[in-house]
Amino acid sequence: MNKFVKRLRALWHRRELDRDLADEMAFHLAMNEQNGGGRFGNATAIQETCRDLWAFTSLEAWWQDIRFALRTLRASPLITATAIVALALGIGANTTVFTIVSSALRFDMAVDHIERVVALHPGEGLANLAPGAPTPIDFLNLRSQVKTVRNLAAYHFSAVNVSDGHALPERCWGVQMTASGWAMVRPKPQLGREFGPQDERPDATPAVMISHRLWERRYGGDPAIVGKFIRIDDVDHAVVGVMPAGEQFPEDTDLWTPVTLKDLGNPDFLRSLLIFGRLADGATISAAQSEIDGVTRRAIAQNVNGPVVNVRPFLEMIGVYDARAMLYAMVFAVGFVLLIVCADVANLLLGRAAARVREISIRIAIGAGRVRIVRQLLVESVMLSAAGGFAGWLVALAGLHWFDNMSAQGRRPSWIHFSMDTRGLLYLAGISIAAGILFGLAPALQLAKIDVNSAIKDGGRGAEGPRGRKLAGLLVGFQMALCVILLAASGLMIHSTVKLYNAPLSFQPANVLTMRVDLPETKYANGDSVRGFYNRLESELAGLPGVTEVSLASELPMRGWREFRGEVEGPQGKPSITGELDGLVVDPAYFPALAVRMRQGRAFDENGQSQVVVNESFAAKFWPGENPIGKRLRIAGRNGSQPWLTVTGVLADVQQDVMRPLGSDPLIYLPYHQDPQSSVYVVARTAIPPANLVEPFRRAVQNLDENLPAQDVLSLDDHIAQQRLNVTAFGKLFTIFAAIALVLAWVGLYAVVAHAVSRRTQEIGIRMAVGGTRRDIFRLVVKQGMRQVLGGFAAGLPLAILVTRGLSHGLVGVSPSDPATYLGVALVLGIAGLLGCAIPARRAIRVDPLAALRHE
Amino acid sequence: MGKPDRGELVQGTLDMLVLKTLTLGPMHGWGIAQSIQQASEEVLRVEEGSLYPALHRMELDGLIDAEWGQSENKRRAKYYRLTARGRKALADEAHHWQQLARAIARVMETA
Repeated sequence: MNKFVKRLRALWHRRELDRDLADEMAFHLAMNEQNGGGRFGNATAIQETCRDLWAFTSLEAWWQDIRFALRTLRASPLITATAIVALALGIGANTTVFTIVSSALRFDMAVDHIERVVALHPGEGLANLAPGAPTPIDFLNLRSQVKTVRNLAAYHFSAVNVSDGHALPERCWGVQMTASGWAMVRPKPQLGREFGPQDERPDATPAVMISHRLWERRYGGDPAIVGKFIRIDDVDHAVVGVMPAGEQFPEDTDLWTPVTLKDLGNPDFLRSLLIFGRLADGATISAAQSEIDGVTRRAIAQNVNGPVVNVRPFLEMIGVYDARAMLYAMVFAVGFVLLIVCADVANLLLGRAAARVREISIRIAIGAGRVRIVRQLLVESVMLSAAGGFAGWLVALAGLHWFDNMSAQGRRPSWIHFSMDTRGLLYLAGISIAAGILFGLAPALQLAKIDVNSAIKDGGRGAEGPRGRKLAGLLVGFQMALCVILLAASGLMIHSTVKLYNAPLSFQPANVLTMRVDLPETKYANGDSVRGFYNRLESELAGLPGVTEVSLASELPMRGWREFRGEVEGPQGKPSITGELDGLVVDPAYFPALAVRMRQGRAFDENGQSQVVVNESFAAKFWPGENPIGKRLRIAGRNGSQPWLTVTGVLADVQQDVMRPLGSDPLIYLPYHQDPQSSVYVVARTAIPPANLVEPFRRAVQNLDENLPAQDVLSLDDHIAQQRLNVTAFGKLFTIFAAIALVLAWVGLYAVVAHAVSRRTQEIGIRMAVGGTRRDIFRLVVKQGMRQVLGGFAAGLPLAILVTRGLSHGLVGVSPSDPATYLGVALVLGIAGLLGCAIPARRAIRVDPLAALRHE
Repeated sequence: MGKPDRGELVQGTLDMLVLKTLTLGPMHGWGIAQSIQQASEEVLRVEEGSLYPALHRMELDGLIDAEWGQSENKRRAKYYRLTARGRKALADEAHHWQQLARAIARVMETA
């Protein structure tokens, strides 16, 4: 049994300890008397000394401090309640954001040391390769040669159609992965068996492993699912196992299939693979980079500038990884809000400290050490923040619940859950205590420094002193500076949102219905069958009442583009340029369906051969100052064929990148007829509200192929709104933070100015008595308050410019140092500051000089 | 504070003497004081003011254990008993003390 437990027990049995000590002393005395006297020391003193040995002396002093603090906090309920509410908001918001960010960045993919896993991407050097050159990242070649990466694996991720007797056909995500990839996955199937070598044989029965979520959603958690067959892209697959919940490697997927030896012999399949692996022990990314690039270069046997393969951390491929800077910026922003809260509470306590000068002075006078006083006051503030922390915990629970619900509606990696966890709680406790010390320190040190003599004589008025007022002013300035940073950040985001929404669209999104259809390659194996299906679908849809135009496109506006390797004829007298070309595959009806104007020339013909349309930016980039009509370019085809295509028209720029509303991406539009795509969007212009056509569209697809799901049947307006929402979500959060920060800082300013006015009532009375006009008084008060606002702005401005650089990734069409935004910040802060000063100043000028002089 | 009495104990040795005395068996505070006094042929006198704090400190440190029992004269008395840790501490202290005593003796002889 250790000391602590013994003491604890003694504390519990306090009375018993006292009795025992008394008995022991009495016994000794009695024995002394019985054996012929002898003197005995002071029995009570001995008892006292012994009792102290058993006590937690320091702990009991803490306990005293806590009880005293409770009493003090109860004595001024308004201040206490205000502080707790402010702290609850600040701490709650911080814990919420921290938990969200830490959950989002945890990357718990059930793979050991995921940070050592790297992925291989095509490098810039590829752009110089002639079209039709072999795919440079050769999985089989790399697997046999590379030493710096163990476990070289590859997978192919695609949407597949699942159909069976259970439910309507459904579009699911599927991963086809090599056995070496499976070797990295930690969890075993919760049902059935793992993939084995037998599944990779060319003659193996197609096998599939399904995810827990698909199992629950589609098969109702059927325990007998293993061994049953489900149709994937119209091929029967035997279910061999069900993975446990949350297992989503290497992508957020519904099902997994093995890579067979037959697949590995198919060059098209090999080209579609994403190659990854775990760095060998001791190997670095740069070592892997140079080895793999070297191996690949030798295989290409061509002179190429720049790396042909880029080795990057696997995690970079995950969406949130890109948003890291934004997420960290969010943690900072909300941290600023807490700092502003701290400054507010510190100001509250400073105000109360002035009233407590007398009490503290007396305690010091009767012998309390100053360290003890500071400790006492810090205990008080930490208790305040602990209460705020507890309330903040409730705020965070609510906030996380809200966020989790909201984000569950979108598509998010399944290992991410937003709920309070141990890390969140530790963070909450940490910031609560830190905040308590932070806002408590200034008033505590202030009070501990008081001059006891004058304070007691002064009746507790004079002791606030210029230093206390200066400190309060500094705190307000500090709040203003933080406010500037947050206002600037949210201002930039608002500005960017406005730009995003106000950017002119070169097409008419109203009255357009879109739908995605993916034809399984197993059933629609060649271009003719794909073309046939879509021809039937188009004529079916065109026959629906209210549909005026039906077209096909590989991508919708604001959804990116496809990448091709190709060659563009140079300007007059210059050599042609090879490299990567971006573009869409569309049929000619796409242009009228979107109602986008042709700037020059015309669209390609319905069945036209060797024709292409380019956009304005493309023409300006490749043929500046020349007539683009009649120029030529060619694309590397699947089968190596690459006829020259002639430009028939120049299209107005249509925004394809949601982050670049001022669309200046050079794009080409290839005729669908020549390159039928199995996955396309149907884009239809309607004469009636598109919502009325959603069901008919779905039915049309089902009528043609009952195993085929129609996906994302959405009006183009809704679709664009969705795309933009993702971009503006962060901006909204920042704006909320900035608004809270502004209100809190405003309250701080108002409180300090109002306090100054009430303290100077007498002085104001004298000024008025000797002839000062109300205008003078008003000016005096406002000038003093605005000094802090201006000081804060001056200090915050350079910081804001520095900090907002981190946001540039999420800004659309706005530079982080956008002068208009900073002007707006100055305006908002100026108006808020003037209001914060003017309201107390108005009170000041209503002072009755006579009453003020009698104020004492 | 005046000059220490002759019978007063050198700082820190009281613990050792108490532990040594308890090797004879469980004993109450008065008994320990008496025992030390007798064993030292009345040279060492143990003050209650140091004895009891020392006993309680050693109890807290786990060097000795205490139990309430009946004394010879049928009174309620607190008996102290050596623990295994106390035995080890005694051995250490004794060893240290012997070294010290020998060293002092050598110095006194040569000087």
